[in-house]
Amino acid sequence: MKKLAIPLTISVIGIALTAFSFISSSRGSAEDVDIVIEKAEFIMPAAHHVYANPDALDGKYYLFKAKITNNSSKTLEDVTVKYRIPNYIDWTELTVSGEMFPGQTLAVPCYPKFDSDITEKTTESMEKVDIEITWDGIEDDDIIEEDFDFRITNRNEFVYTGVKKEEILTYSDIYDNNPLVACFVTTNDPIVKYYTQNIQEKILKGEAATVSRKPEDAVRFLKGIYEATRRSHMVYSGTKGVPKSLDDVQSMVQQVRLPREVITGNTGLCIELSCLYASILSGAGIDPIIYFSPGHAYPGFKMNGQYYAIEATGIGGEGLGSIASAEQAFMTGQKQLDTLFTMSRQGDPRFTFVDINYANANGITEMNLKDNDFMRKKVDDIVASWSGGQDIQPNTPRNPSIRIPEPGLRTGNALSFSIPTGWQTMMHPAPQIPIVTAQVVAPDQMTTVTIYDIPASNAQQGMATVNQYLSSLGMQVQYQINGNALAGQTYSVNGTFNWIGKAIRRQGGIRIVAVGAPDYMYNQNSGIINQVYNSIR
Amino acid sequence: MKSIVKFIVCLSLLFSIGAHSQSQQKIEMKIDEIGNAKISVSMTMNAQQWQLWNSNYGNNQSALKRDMERSMPAYFLDDFKLEKDDMNRSFNLSLNAYGVCEINKRGKWIVDTDQKDAQLTELTETKYMLVSSPPEYGGQLQQTFIIELPENAKKIKTEKNAYGKSVFEFDMDPPSSGFNLMRWAGILLIVVGGGWAGKTVIKT
Repeated sequence: MKKLAIPLTISVIGIALTAFSFISSSRGSAEDVDIVIEKAEFIMPAAHHVYANPDALDGKYYLFKAKITNNSSKTLEDVTVKYRIPNYIDWTELTVSGEMFPGQTLAVPCYPKFDSDITEKTTESMEKVDIEITWDGIEDDDIIEEDFDFRITNRNEFVYTGVKKEEILTYSDIYDNNPLVACFVTTNDPIVKYYTQNIQEKILKGEAATVSRKPEDAVRFLKGIYEATRRSHMVYSGTKGVPKSLDDVQSMVQQVRLPREVITGNTGLCIELSCLYASILSGAGIDPIIYFSPGHAYPGFKMNGQYYAIEATGIGGEGLGSIASAEQAFMTGQKQLDTLFTMSRQGDPRFTFVDINYANANGITEMNLKDNDFMRKKVDDIVASWSGGQDIQPNTPRNPSIRIPEPGLRTGNALSFSIPTGWQTMMHPAPQIPIVTAQVVAPDQMTTVTIYDIPASNAQQGMATVNQYLSSLGMQVQYQINGNALAGQTYSVNGTFNWIGKAIRRQGGIRIVAVGAPDYMYNQNSGIINQVYNSIR
Repeated sequence: MKSIVKFIVCLSLLFSIGAHSQSQQKIEMKIDEIGNAKISVSMTMNAQQWQLWNSNYGNNQSALKRDMERSMPAYFLDDFKLEKDDMNRSFNLSLNAYGVCEINKRGKWIVDTDQKDAQLTELTETKYMLVSSPPEYGGQLQQTFIIELPENAKKIKTEKNAYGKSVFEFDMDPPSSGFNLMRWAGILLIVVGGGWAGKTVIKT
């Protein structure tokens, strides 16, 4: 019997090891599960709908994402990932994976759905996220628990970037959150709606921009908003904007008053006035745009492929020395817009804009705000102050007559540029536009040179005449003039045509030679376009 | 649920915006037996596109990696490798994406295409093709996706999820769990101990 003791002991140890190997791998332990968590440094309450939407900007605005890897040799069953934010969000299941094979990884992003009363938060706070990972058969001691801190800003705070400071490379990175400005465009705020209705009724005495789709009607609406702010003696005033360090992120943080606060407080900064205008325009069915240039923002809209702007801060204030009229503010806005497009075309990233409807379509939606009787009464008081002042003139029907150039202005010297080989020339190709002397078309039938002879004294007048003719054919022209150089786009039902050209003074008028191609062909053909352009004399 | 097509569409970032001529991009996504994906993107460009692409990404590979990561924030990506062929103006980018598909509560593997009525062409039992033209490039970029499911995927079906979007659904056995030292040592000891005991009993 003694001789059997050793081999039996070995066998028993073998049985124990084998059994233990099955028992130990049948559950999987917390030590065998790897977790990597990447977190956001802050949450802006104004963007609470964006954080809740996995599709908003391809899921860019998550609270955290977890990479969970099963390093055990056993398949884990019903792996559940939950999280909570005490005082804000109760335990919420993020995912339940029926099985998790050995070596398998789960990538779990968290898009928290905050209650809409988070938009009533007026102070910043540090909060905690608890994360819990469990699976079938796990012992209490093995439940995986992780937590981290993050910041919830106050509802007015706008943090310009969430890009970590060591990752900042370009100007765009510094203003990476600019599209989130659309969250401050509170079209559906009952107070803003009430204010908009009052503008439509009391200032404009009726408007139909969304029905007519005429830019001049929308411009009238834009001026109406300006007039409303001017008549109520709204003034320009600053708010707190400071650089802040938020752990790994360093950003400029701006306090942005909501449009309802701008209306009832009767004061606003450029970005705040821009959000107010955009809210009102959007509420009236016009596509709002907020334009950004270094240190400044101004509002406007887009209609029929063209952009318009107004300098909303023209209201200034008596303390600031000047108050511009609606017309002056519009002219200033348009000038700034010219600069913006010129600089943007030259590749300057500081000149940009946010198309609010486009941002909304990409999941960047406005915050929820409740109705407020006190604010409605304030709006009533403001509306009462609108009596008097200059009325926004109704649109008079446009003069349908088009100035026809005097005959005999065209010179015998037809084209004034070198025609590349194989291009086809057509003299007076469009009888309904007598100012078109000739058109030269490339073999691809896309790249085109057009020669206009116009009875005008300068390029500005010449382009105005071209615009009149093309408008009558349902086309819209947007252009910039720099000396005798021109650049622009022509919009029609066929799409956008990009062109560059030169204005040359001719006997008794101006000759404009423009060369271009449809926008989708322009870059490809830019070599030949530039060659033609350089030959214009 | 993350979706495979959204993931792939983001890869069109590699296309140089502004170069306007019809371009083809081939994207292969090979999903392994634990739900991770090996992605390979290849493209040949014309001279103008190549110049633009090189100035943006080709000569600044960290910018390429950074922009890829930022355009696909919900994913965990690594092992980026870029191979350029300057002579032929083409590149091949490969990377790994973790947890691209996962097992649902009913134990089925799910791959979400994020497309309603996705026009998938079955190439083999586990290989599918999808052709897409992202609207943001105005039809100038055509992407051909090859989605290769694991070889041991069974009962592959394309179903519609609750939102009417096409999803792949399939069964797959767990991979072999590999060598378990403790178990094999235990078995060895049982055999040795049992053999020794048997020999001792026979001798006596």
